[in-house]
Amino acid sequence: MKYFFVGAIGLSMLLSACEKREEIKLPYEGDKIVVNTLIQPDSVIYIRVTRSVPSNVYNDAGYNDIPGATVTLTANEASVLPLQVQTIKGLSYYVSSQKAILGQQYKVAVSAAGLQAVTGTDTLPPAPLVSKPGAQRGSSRVQFTLQDLPASADYYRIRIYMTDAATGLGAFLLFRLDPAFNNNMVEYFSKGNYNSLIMNDERFNGKPVNFVLQTADPIMNAGEITVEVSALTNNTYRYFSTLAAQRDAGTTLGSHVRVFTNVTNGYGIVGGINTRKMIVKIP
Amino acid sequence: MSLALKLLTGILIFSFPFQVFGWDWQTRVTVVVKDQPLEAVCGLLEKEYGIHFSYSRELVNLSRKVTLTAHQQRLKKLLDELFSPDDIRFTRVGDQIILSPAQRSSRTISGYIKDAVSGESLIGATVYSPALKQGTTANQYGFYSLTTVKDTNSLLISYIGYKPYLQKVTAKGNQMINVHLQPLGSLKEVVISAKEGSKLQEQTQMSRVNLSTSDLQAMPRLLGEVDVMRALQSLPGVSGGPDGAGGLYVRGGGPDQNLVLIDGTPVFNFSHFFGVYSMLNANVVKTTDLYKGAFPARFGGRISSVVDIAMKEGDMKAFHGDASLGFIAAKFNIEGPIVKDKTSFMFSARRSYPDLLINAALQAEKTLGDDGDFKAFFFDVNAKVNHIFSPKDRLFLSFYKGEDNLLLKQTTDDTSRIINSSKYIGESLRFRLGWGNTIGAIRWNHIYSPKLFSNVTLNYSQYEFFTEIEHKYKLAASGEKSDVYGRYNSVMENNGGRIDFDYRPDPRHSVRFGAITTVHKFKPGYSTFEDRDSHVIPLDTIDASMKVTGYELSLYAEDDWQIRPDFFANIGMHASAFLVEGRFYYSLQPRLGLRYLLPRNWAVKAAFTHMTQYIHLLSGDGATLPTDIWVPSTQHVAPMFSRQLAAGIAKTTANLKYEFSLEGYFKSMHNVIETRETNGIITPATTRWDENVTVGKGWSYGAELMMQKKKGSTTGWVGYTLAWSTRRFPDVNNGEIYPYKFDHRHDIELVLVQQLGKQWELSASWHFNSGTPFTLPVSTYAATEGASPWEPGTGNTSIDRFDNRNNYRGSAVHRLDVGVTWSKQKKHWTRSWNLSVFNAYNRKNPYFYFISGDAAGQKRYLSKVSILPILPSITYSVKF
Repeated sequence: MKYFFVGAIGLSMLLSACEKREEIKLPYEGDKIVVNTLIQPDSVIYIRVTRSVPSNVYNDAGYNDIPGATVTLTANEASVLPLQVQTIKGLSYYVSSQKAILGQQYKVAVSAAGLQAVTGTDTLPPAPLVSKPGAQRGSSRVQFTLQDLPASADYYRIRIYMTDAATGLGAFLLFRLDPAFNNNMVEYFSKGNYNSLIMNDERFNGKPVNFVLQTADPIMNAGEITVEVSALTNNTYRYFSTLAAQRDAGTTLGSHVRVFTNVTNGYGIVGGINTRKMIVKIP
Repeated sequence: MSLALKLLTGILIFSFPFQVFGWDWQTRVTVVVKDQPLEAVCGLLEKEYGIHFSYSRELVNLSRKVTLTAHQQRLKKLLDELFSPDDIRFTRVGDQIILSPAQRSSRTISGYIKDAVSGESLIGATVYSPALKQGTTANQYGFYSLTTVKDTNSLLISYIGYKPYLQKVTAKGNQMINVHLQPLGSLKEVVISAKEGSKLQEQTQMSRVNLSTSDLQAMPRLLGEVDVMRALQSLPGVSGGPDGAGGLYVRGGGPDQNLVLIDGTPVFNFSHFFGVYSMLNANVVKTTDLYKGAFPARFGGRISSVVDIAMKEGDMKAFHGDASLGFIAAKFNIEGPIVKDKTSFMFSARRSYPDLLINAALQAEKTLGDDGDFKAFFFDVNAKVNHIFSPKDRLFLSFYKGEDNLLLKQTTDDTSRIINSSKYIGESLRFRLGWGNTIGAIRWNHIYSPKLFSNVTLNYSQYEFFTEIEHKYKLAASGEKSDVYGRYNSVMENNGGRIDFDYRPDPRHSVRFGAITTVHKFKPGYSTFEDRDSHVIPLDTIDASMKVTGYELSLYAEDDWQIRPDFFANIGMHASAFLVEGRFYYSLQPRLGLRYLLPRNWAVKAAFTHMTQYIHLLSGDGATLPTDIWVPSTQHVAPMFSRQLAAGIAKTTANLKYEFSLEGYFKSMHNVIETRETNGIITPATTRWDENVTVGKGWSYGAELMMQKKKGSTTGWVGYTLAWSTRRFPDVNNGEIYPYKFDHRHDIELVLVQQLGKQWELSASWHFNSGTPFTLPVSTYAATEGASPWEPGTGNTSIDRFDNRNNYRGSAVHRLDVGVTWSKQKKHWTRSWNLSVFNAYNRKNPYFYFISGDAAGQKRYLSKVSILPILPSITYSVKF
């Protein structure tokens, strides 16, 4: 709600607000190794290794790889999994030859000349128990059922992907929890639509819940809707939730949300994720 | 005796040193002693000048130690200064001075000091006995009490802006004398010029600044509004938020740490319009005292400052009023007697009006549909009645109600007018937002005896924020309906009672003591929500809103004590206890102020204060907002407390024309709270707010210089502040100390008011502060969204890495505001025009910063957003 008021101040007083570029030297703490990998059970592991840059660098083509970096992937602190460098969509990835296995712990270690060596470790979460997806043309509601596990603290990410019936092109939709389902007045005011909902199970621990989502626009031209529900480890949850908070705060300097990282001496995330996709054909 | 013998005697006499026989009361003597008893001074005078003293040790005590530097001073004057504090009488018998106890009994003269024209009490007026060189000042109700020797025959009563009055005191015994001072004839003759009457060196109180109505009225205006908060921000040691919006930051403290009292009643949110304006109509403010430190024991409950505002009481003799129309608001004020010299009233109202014009334009074009409506305004009303039951009893009833409101109602049957016309049928939206204070108080002044005055107050203060939304629509394609209604409100209430005693046993002691009790009721975050046309089962039921009641009790006592003629102390203790949800907190808060008089009428002062605060403000990291809620201390978050040490020198010149003060301070703040850094995604449940904050410490220190010219056709002040303010929290900035968000190193304030003849008044204020700290990212790196790069939505996204908090300083802020007022006095009324220009040289001061990307230049850069450009305004006022 804070941002609503900041915006209201801006609107009401400040029709004449003016923006000016400030030429300053932004602080920079030096290059660091960035490791990004979200590990999905029963899938090969993709690890991207890049280096950080000063924050005045405009980067729309991906971040630079670190030539000559040594990347090691270890399962359960014992077996080292072989990696192979692949270029996918113009970016380099270290790809494992074996699939990740639920119940194992994975560690990624990276070293490179002139940079401090880094490591990151995480386990993998069990698959989310989801079922009964539903969506229909002309409606803005998308539904599914989630059975939460009672014994553990569970974390989830939900996304909705729409494939256009005519073009076959797809995009993630903007949505929110249906206001009647969410039953939260403060969130109704303070949050707009988002393209991924990150949450924990505090409000429904151990229960079966029929989730109702509301898309920003009614589903009109969809050929199919994919409801993607991912179970997250605590590390991945903290990474996604702080990343969403930083994006929610925008680029206004005052919120300065620090995005979680479990990569020691560097940045990024080595996190477990377990995604289930439910496809609904829209007649 | 033969002629020869006479001549011989004469020669012998004249051959003795002149001093032996040649002294009289006009003889000039030089005495320099340090920390010696009076007896030693007498010995010195005897040795050097042959002045013999005769006295009985049983009756006259000469053991008091004195430090004295007198060069060529008249003997009479020196002895006066030496002996009068101990009531020792001295008479000459032959060549001896006989010392004896004065044996004079005392009597007490008390009463009220008022404006002769309106009957308003004059707070801080000086009552002085020229013969005895003793005096006192009137308290916040205009009451004074001076206990002095019986043969006092006159008192000089003075107050800036009024003709001094010599009150004859003829009858013996205790007397009650109400004094009515005539205002000086000037443009401001209908304005109560309630500046401090006493000199800075005569007050032990330090770290206090007084703003009078005339100070306020003379300041340049922002869009036509005179404003208390903006005037306070132009004092050394006080900062505002960005461009002055969003609260007061006093000596490095937060906006939640200010105790704002209106006629003794605390208020929670002192602003309209998101902190741009104060909640009070400045025309009904009589005087404002800002305490930045050296808090007297009678104040408690907040740790950084006290803003003590006294409202006008209402004219007891004749009807008066004023009305004005500015760019933002229209207002009026009327006051007068209900029963002359017995009962008076004051009523004022103010409303901002630009929304009326905007709504008219929207209605004309049907922009919001047939039943559309738009309101965005603030209003406030003040009412006060005071009644004099008897010379000893007086009752005040006061009421305040102020609100900010926003209403947007948009309906349409014509789908071409709505944004989502292709999708929605019959959409209607009604949105309301509002917040405001309601304050009521009953005060009873009673004089028990000439030396003992009391005030009993019962007060009520409530702050409420609410927001409400109704949204109906039907989806054209599916027929799906939505009829959403939601309401959120947050209420904070105080029911309080206090009794204050003012006891003046003798001129050397001014004692105040009393008790304060407050019942705090917290009801933050209550919400209801329903979708009447939905069959969706809610995820959960709404948590019952937190409702907590806390009980606070305080006892205090303080004595303004003249320990020696040149050494004074204000010694006090404020003891408080707070009971909430079965937990009990208490604190003993010592208060000490010291004053030592130096030569040339300078005073050196020092103070130590301990303050405790049992309630916390939950606020975002940015500006103070109406949504901020107050909560009591919990097991995880203990009460805040501060300790402040201040020292300085001060002087007011003999003609009361110039004031000078220089102060240094060090303040530590404990158990202050800050939102945890990892927060931000989940709206915290109110009941668990303490899990989302981190508890830490703050320190602030610095120096403040204030030079003020208070009299003459040119008045104003120069203020300079050099300050540091830091914080440390275990979960913020890696547990390291970082600069507070309003850590301004240098702050300069220049305020100038120039009277030109009887009709013109020019004013200007210039403000400068060095850059405000904020946090810049220290690097940027790649983000990831999914497990496989083959999946959609795993593009090139970035993360900004924030490390040290507040690692960069924005550009310096400076602004010149100017105003000119033309007034014409008619027989029964005065009219005036004020032209003010805010930000006269259109400085683009930073309101906030953000990082932008420039795809063409392949560069990200820092953008500064400025909000308040040059803003001229005109106000027309009439007074009668």
